[in-house]
Amino acid sequence: QEVDMQAQAEGIRTVFSDPTNFNVKHPLYSAWTLWFDSPATKGRNLPQTPISGFPQTPVPQTPGASVALGWMEDIKRVISFDSVEEFWGLYNNIIPPSQLPQKANYYLFKEGIIPAWEDEANKNGGKWSIQLPKDKNRPNIDKMWLYTMLAAIGETFDPYLTSGEEISPQSLITGVIVSTRPQFYRLSIWTRLAPSSTGTEDEQDRKLRERVETIGKHFKTSVLGYSDAHKLAGPLATEVEFLSHKDSEKKGKSAKKIIV
Amino acid sequence: SYNAKTIPPSLPSALATARIIDDIGQITYPEGIKSPKVELNINAKDGKFKYDREFLLQFMSICKEKPDMLPPLDAIGLEPTDQNHSMSRGGSGRRSASAM
Repeated sequence: QEVDMQAQAEGIRTVFSDPTNFNVKHPLYSAWTLWFDSPATKGRNLPQTPISGFPQTPVPQTPGASVALGWMEDIKRVISFDSVEEFWGLYNNIIPPSQLPQKANYYLFKEGIIPAWEDEANKNGGKWSIQLPKDKNRPNIDKMWLYTMLAAIGETFDPYLTSGEEISPQSLITGVIVSTRPQFYRLSIWTRLAPSSTGTEDEQDRKLRERVETIGKHFKTSVLGYSDAHKLAGPLATEVEFLSHKDSEKKGKSAKKIIV
Repeated sequence: SYNAKTIPPSLPSALATARIIDDIGQITYPEGIKSPKVELNINAKDGKFKYDREFLLQFMSICKEKPDMLPPLDAIGLEPTDQNHSMSRGGSGRRSASAM
């Protein structure tokens, strides 16, 4: 009660106490950018942004990243935001995945990281992903994507981040993606680092693997709502599985997945 | 202290002028609104806060204002399809086999 009085005296108003005249907002751990592509954005040279003064797609600085330029030409930057309040303003005014055309993608990445393997922040990383048959999951996909975004912006995917046992003081998460295809949906969580797929005895690598697995388990159980032991693979469906970007590029059978 | 009458009533300005919370522990919420889980922000510094889903979901029905910076969706090729309705029953959703 006393604190409440004090807060009022200081004039602190959140959106809950005054939805129209609030004077404080909740900052996010990181700023985020939403990107979008679909067959309709490809090769049509749509304006990157119709609003002047709106930052253009960042030009990659490294040789590797310039390879991503062609890829990025078809991907449209929708908006950036850095507060909880702004996230919801966007969420409430944009199309949910269930209503996207086929072969469309939303990419929600930390500001300054482009949704491409070649970005400095992604090149040593990998992704957790799950593929879900469209027929059965159309009623669930919007909630699954929302919960995935909330775990990303709330920064709760990576519990090692502030546990004091961190390998890297940085969050491992770089971005999250939802993809719509004719017969399935895919959700992905991109990480900054990936454990070695050859299974070394290296202590650092073992810890990283543990940390990455924790993210996958959290994704499967808390975000998607499956039980720990639930087997998900089936026609058009995969388990929750992790693959490093380097192994994805190989396209061969050598690629070793982690499954939770 | 502040004078409520000096604050403009227009909606977008609140988000544009609101300042960033720098100490999440100092914020009290109205009755019925949950604070972020305390354990998430024990070592928080520099306004780097983590938020649990339950806390975040409370904003959904309140923050509905369209962001000033949101481009017209059709200008970036972002348009809804009606595939959830009669279309899907006609089997048109099966015509493409180019799943990747």
